[in-house]
Amino acid sequence: MSPQSPQLWFSIPPRAISWREWDGEFVVRDERSGSTHHLGPLAGRVLQVLLQASGGVSVPDIVSRLGDQPAPADEPEWRAAIDAVLSEFQRLGLVGAERQ
Amino acid sequence: MSTPPAHLIGLALGNPQALADLSLPQWEALVCHARRANLLPRIAVALDDLGLLYEVPAAPRAHLVAARTLAHAQADAVRREVAHIDRALAASGVPVVLLKGAAYLLADMPAARGRMFSDIDILVPRAALPEVEAKLMLNGWAAIKTTAYDQRYYRQWMHELPPLRHIRRQTVLDVHHAILPTTARLKPDSAKLLADSRRLLGEPRLRILAPHDIVLHSATHLFCNEDVGNSLRDLVDLDSLLRDFAQKGDFWPRLSSRAAELDLTRPLYYALRYAVRILDTPVPARVQSAAEMGRPPAALRGLMDTLFMQTLQPERAAEWLASLARGSLYLRAHWLRMPPLLLACHLLVKTFRREQATAH
Amino acid sequence: MMVGDLPYKELARRLAGAGLRLRTGPVVSRIRSRLPAVVHGVALHYANHTIEDEDGFADFRVGVVVPPSLRRWVKPQVLFEFDGALPFLPLPAPQAFAMLEWGLNWCVSNHCHQYLIVHSAAVEKSGRALLLPGPPGSGKSTLCAGLISRGWRLLSDELALLDLASGSVVPLTRPVSLKNASIDAIRRFAPEALLGPPVHDTVKGSVAHMKPPTESAHRANETARPRWIALPRFERGAAARLERLSKAQAFMQLADNAFNYDVHGRRGFELLADVVTRSDCFAFRYGSLEDAVPVFDAIARQP
Repeated sequence: MSPQSPQLWFSIPPRAISWREWDGEFVVRDERSGSTHHLGPLAGRVLQVLLQASGGVSVPDIVSRLGDQPAPADEPEWRAAIDAVLSEFQRLGLVGAERQ
Repeated sequence: MSTPPAHLIGLALGNPQALADLSLPQWEALVCHARRANLLPRIAVALDDLGLLYEVPAAPRAHLVAARTLAHAQADAVRREVAHIDRALAASGVPVVLLKGAAYLLADMPAARGRMFSDIDILVPRAALPEVEAKLMLNGWAAIKTTAYDQRYYRQWMHELPPLRHIRRQTVLDVHHAILPTTARLKPDSAKLLADSRRLLGEPRLRILAPHDIVLHSATHLFCNEDVGNSLRDLVDLDSLLRDFAQKGDFWPRLSSRAAELDLTRPLYYALRYAVRILDTPVPARVQSAAEMGRPPAALRGLMDTLFMQTLQPERAAEWLASLARGSLYLRAHWLRMPPLLLACHLLVKTFRREQATAH
Repeated sequence: MMVGDLPYKELARRLAGAGLRLRTGPVVSRIRSRLPAVVHGVALHYANHTIEDEDGFADFRVGVVVPPSLRRWVKPQVLFEFDGALPFLPLPAPQAFAMLEWGLNWCVSNHCHQYLIVHSAAVEKSGRALLLPGPPGSGKSTLCAGLISRGWRLLSDELALLDLASGSVVPLTRPVSLKNASIDAIRRFAPEALLGPPVHDTVKGSVAHMKPPTESAHRANETARPRWIALPRFERGAAARLERLSKAQAFMQLADNAFNYDVHGRRGFELLADVVTRSDCFAFRYGSLEDAVPVFDAIARQP
């Protein structure tokens, strides 16, 4: 476990985002970049959690807010998946991170 | 009221209320000419400012609204692109001066309203060019014109890097180190332009030229540039700039002297002359007299009048005369920018390569 | 008055002179040309289209002209004229009518930003529209031609105009452009369809146009709400197969195939999202029109 304080993630302002969901898949438009993205169920839910949060959230926070809770044995896998999603979001300019 | 078609665009911009009497065929002519001159969204904005847009008959109105929608989307794209450029060059510490449309837009100037945008132009010190080019390429911009001839043409003879296109976004960026080529007959000093440039409000790094220099650059671009298809649009920009800056108390007195300092009295002379004649720009008489120092010999002025009036009032000219005029202006613009031998060489290569293109 | 009401000589005279003001759905084009191929093409394909009055408003002033040069005697070429300018390189003279069609498409897709324009065929049955978006070569025009030969109404073969306020498809009702093997496929499938003379050696191969069915032309002012979206893919010898496509995927396909999605920003996003929400979305693979058309007939019979 890293001795550093956890990274907090936050999305770009919700007013800059338009999104729709059908059957668990999402399409998202980012006004700031003008880009439109197609997100799978996990990525879409993660983005929703960040959009609804007031302030930054850590990965464990995201897991607890996702709705479906993983079995303890699966948690590391979930966190890894969420880390990958957040990395990609960061690359696309949809989210930012800072240390607490 | 029957309005002669010759002045429809000027009328639309200067006195939009008069458009209320236009017949559908006259609207058709106006939309056709304004669209070609890239001024349709500007007319839409002029009408909308007076609450008149929704009194335009539905069929022409659809084009006005469509053009304005497009112009807004282009403006959004310019803002995003400027942010990208700023991020790419931030660490270098190089002063980046936005030129033309991007400057008008980011500085919230009236000249940006209803304007159409395409490429972005920036001005940087000549010494900083290698670093600027390197940083831009690192961030995804690549040269469009890659033949050795084109590369040399731009770097050695012109005043800019060869145009750059961003690989992913496909946007085009022109990086200038001067506002006219080093080989041109007129020699405005870039160091002076940079020295008088000012920071954009709210921006730590981006800059724009000082008001006199913005006007002089616009005049120079209009009268020395080869892209004569946008001439009327550029004159409208100039008119908008002059009307806006005229409201600042200290603008008019120094305009001619600054032009003299920058060796740009000839473009200023033409700019004021045609803005007054074609768009009725309110330029004080004493300013027009001061600009006379840039007046060309009488015979040349007669020729230029014919050429520019045809180009700047496309509705008036018979098409063949207009294209003749445009052709001559293309030659003239190049003449101002490159010594005759270089010009002949360049034009020969351009003609040759166009024929290569059409041979396929 | 319709184009077909004019004697051929009169049609040629108007095209050569002040221009013919042709209405195609919401778009009126003033067309000028002295070229016989253009006169013939207009007479054939636009027989059931309306001519507008001289004192109305034309959205585009276009022409197909011969450039003044010595080439006109050896290998004649033609140019497309728009708003008095010449935006394209010339094409060989036999392609004159095709050039008019391509030019008119260019005018609409570049300027009609009062709509969200998708690169898509669109047909209608029982008041509901089927969108067939796809890049060139996907087989959308062939499928479109097949469907309209079996009772579907033609809305457009190339440019689906979506009204920003209602999301309805606004018909553009112009000739269907067929390429290469599609030309023969349609001749076999619909021997009664009217095809213009094929031109060969274009950048797209051989090209022929199919006249819009008379009823489609007469109903060019009737819009239709989208109900089905099917991404076609032609594959020689393949059996017809309709597969459900996720709405999110269908959305991305529409956005990718739209000419001016970016121009409309957030509004375009909402419009396409609404269209997708109320449509059934599919990927469709087919190898023959005989198999393909009944698939959509069956879908149209469902509520």
